[in-house]
Amino acid sequence: MKKIDKAVADQYFREKNTYMVLYLVIWFCVSFGAVLLAEPLSNFSIGGFPFHYFMGAQGSVLTFIILLFVNAKVGDQIDKKYGIDEAKNIKLSEGKTLDH
Amino acid sequence: MDTQFLVSLSIILATFALYIGIALYNKAKATSDFYVAGRGVPPVFNGMAIGADWMSAASFIGMAGTIMLLGYDGLAYIMGWTGGYLLLTFLLAPQLRKYGRYTVPEFIGDRFDSHTARVLAAVCTIIISFTYSIGQLSGSGVVIGRLFEIDAKLGTMIGVVLIAFYAAFGGMKGITWTQVAQYIVLIIAYLIPVIFMSLQLTNNPLPWLSYGELVGKMGELDRELGISQYFAPFTNGTKWQFLALMFTLMCGTAGLPHVIVRFYTVSTMKAARWSGAWALLFIGLLYFSAPAYAAFSRFILMTKVAGSKITELPAWTKSWIDTGKLQMADNNGDGVLQWSELIISNDIVVMATPEIANLGVFVIGLVAAGAMAAALSTAGGLMISISSSFAHDIFYRVWKPNSTEKTRLAVARWSIVIATLLAGLIALNPPGAITQIVAWAFALATGTFFPALVLGVWWKRSNAQGVIAGLLVGLAVTLGYIFAAKYGGFTILGIIDTGAGVFGAAAAFLANIVVSLATPAPSQKLQEEVLDLRYPEQMVYKDGSVWMNDDATKSI
Repeated sequence: MKKIDKAVADQYFREKNTYMVLYLVIWFCVSFGAVLLAEPLSNFSIGGFPFHYFMGAQGSVLTFIILLFVNAKVGDQIDKKYGIDEAKNIKLSEGKTLDH
Repeated sequence: MDTQFLVSLSIILATFALYIGIALYNKAKATSDFYVAGRGVPPVFNGMAIGADWMSAASFIGMAGTIMLLGYDGLAYIMGWTGGYLLLTFLLAPQLRKYGRYTVPEFIGDRFDSHTARVLAAVCTIIISFTYSIGQLSGSGVVIGRLFEIDAKLGTMIGVVLIAFYAAFGGMKGITWTQVAQYIVLIIAYLIPVIFMSLQLTNNPLPWLSYGELVGKMGELDRELGISQYFAPFTNGTKWQFLALMFTLMCGTAGLPHVIVRFYTVSTMKAARWSGAWALLFIGLLYFSAPAYAAFSRFILMTKVAGSKITELPAWTKSWIDTGKLQMADNNGDGVLQWSELIISNDIVVMATPEIANLGVFVIGLVAAGAMAAALSTAGGLMISISSSFAHDIFYRVWKPNSTEKTRLAVARWSIVIATLLAGLIALNPPGAITQIVAWAFALATGTFFPALVLGVWWKRSNAQGVIAGLLVGLAVTLGYIFAAKYGGFTILGIIDTGAGVFGAAAAFLANIVVSLATPAPSQKLQEEVLDLRYPEQMVYKDGSVWMNDDATKSI
């Protein structure tokens, strides 16, 4: 066990959260935002779909999936940057439940 | 005994044999395996298992029909049931994984160091999963009812026996790999008819690209009939109802105990992150296709069925009228069936469309098997949640801490049987369409677990009194609003019963925060445990500073 500088630990947490807030802002815009603006958006169309319908049926879901994969990948990179070794994580979480 | 019956039945039996085979192979032996399959299911497969657990009769049987009948307004289900995975994967899943407990009530009980909170959380889990399972049983009733051409009520009774037997003898260990198989069966069963219909109607094998033009075309047909256009927004409810429903479904996704428990089966926080991503990809395949399914069904009904002579209706109509879910009456007596004279229940659209489109006995049988896979897999997960809440969190942790493993396993099995029978009893006269019943379960999860878990993970100051107040207030407000809106006609901003979670969550957050601040802070140890959740497994928060566990020893 080695003590980590408080600033480094805080930086890790802040970096993760900054990305998370960014993803959630995009998440909010493509779902709640697109619904709030449904009437004006219905004047446009894409691939035969009225645009608001496209966002509800496909655009938002596609964005969600992309965001989750980006989050998984970026999360791995942040972990790597701070020297986190997944093999050790696996070892540490083995059987990490209450004994009963 | 027609060919269709024999083909459908044999496909269903063949898939059942597959699931039972897998379950027997992984037969649950110890209690720890019964709840959480030995920790270490790879993320891709865990993603599929989450997908099967997740996609219930509501997604498979109910959703396309709901979208068909509601048009754009039905898309709240699409966005809500997918968007919630972001909240779950960002805010809760990895952190709960690091905390490392068997069940959601166990997390709440230990995080807040309170048996009262634990029991309350177990009771909430039981209420939510129970409500949800009513929808599943009612879905299996539709499938079995059609198969044997009997009333959906009798079908439900057969479904109850099947599900009770299936869940009580499976356990989570069998269920993980069985659910992978169920995912594969249900996604194939859903995609094949959509692709065939797409070829039939547009000559394009990619339904996701081809149905856009039909959506536009149907708008024109609707204009000619003088009804509101299929894609016109907010024709069946206010914009606020749409937003409230979407919010409820999203937060409910992040708070559903039987889904969260799936994230306890992966090894690390990283694996939890990837599981969430894979899960949504697999789930998305069906959710992309549901609006296409809805559009094709509606187009076929509008152009091929409506307008035909009432005496020359195709054979498929009779077997569906027998289930009590389809009505056709020549109200104006002109001998022709008009679009407005056709009343189709949300719940049969997916099952009936392959017959309407004449896709052949094999496809129809496959869809029935897929629907059974969806209902069974989710009901299995729900029943495990109910039994673990009762047998593990209430019976073992609080009531009889000295009970043997054998007794606990027996209590777990009996609670599954009793819960299934009770849910089946209510499902005989379902209080709503499948998607609606399931939406209530989501509203309850939004009003209870979402605030409790988010504050429990992200706010170290939240304490036992706060979470107890939050759970009670959230449960009361959500239940109160559902009943007031459904039976009393009470609404705010046009938000009906399915959007009740908005009010429940707001009240629960408020109650939790106010009561927590008004009462003493949790102990230093509990607060440090919460701060520890900010970091991956290897980083440990202890005594006010963060430590890197380089040699990976479990000294803490």
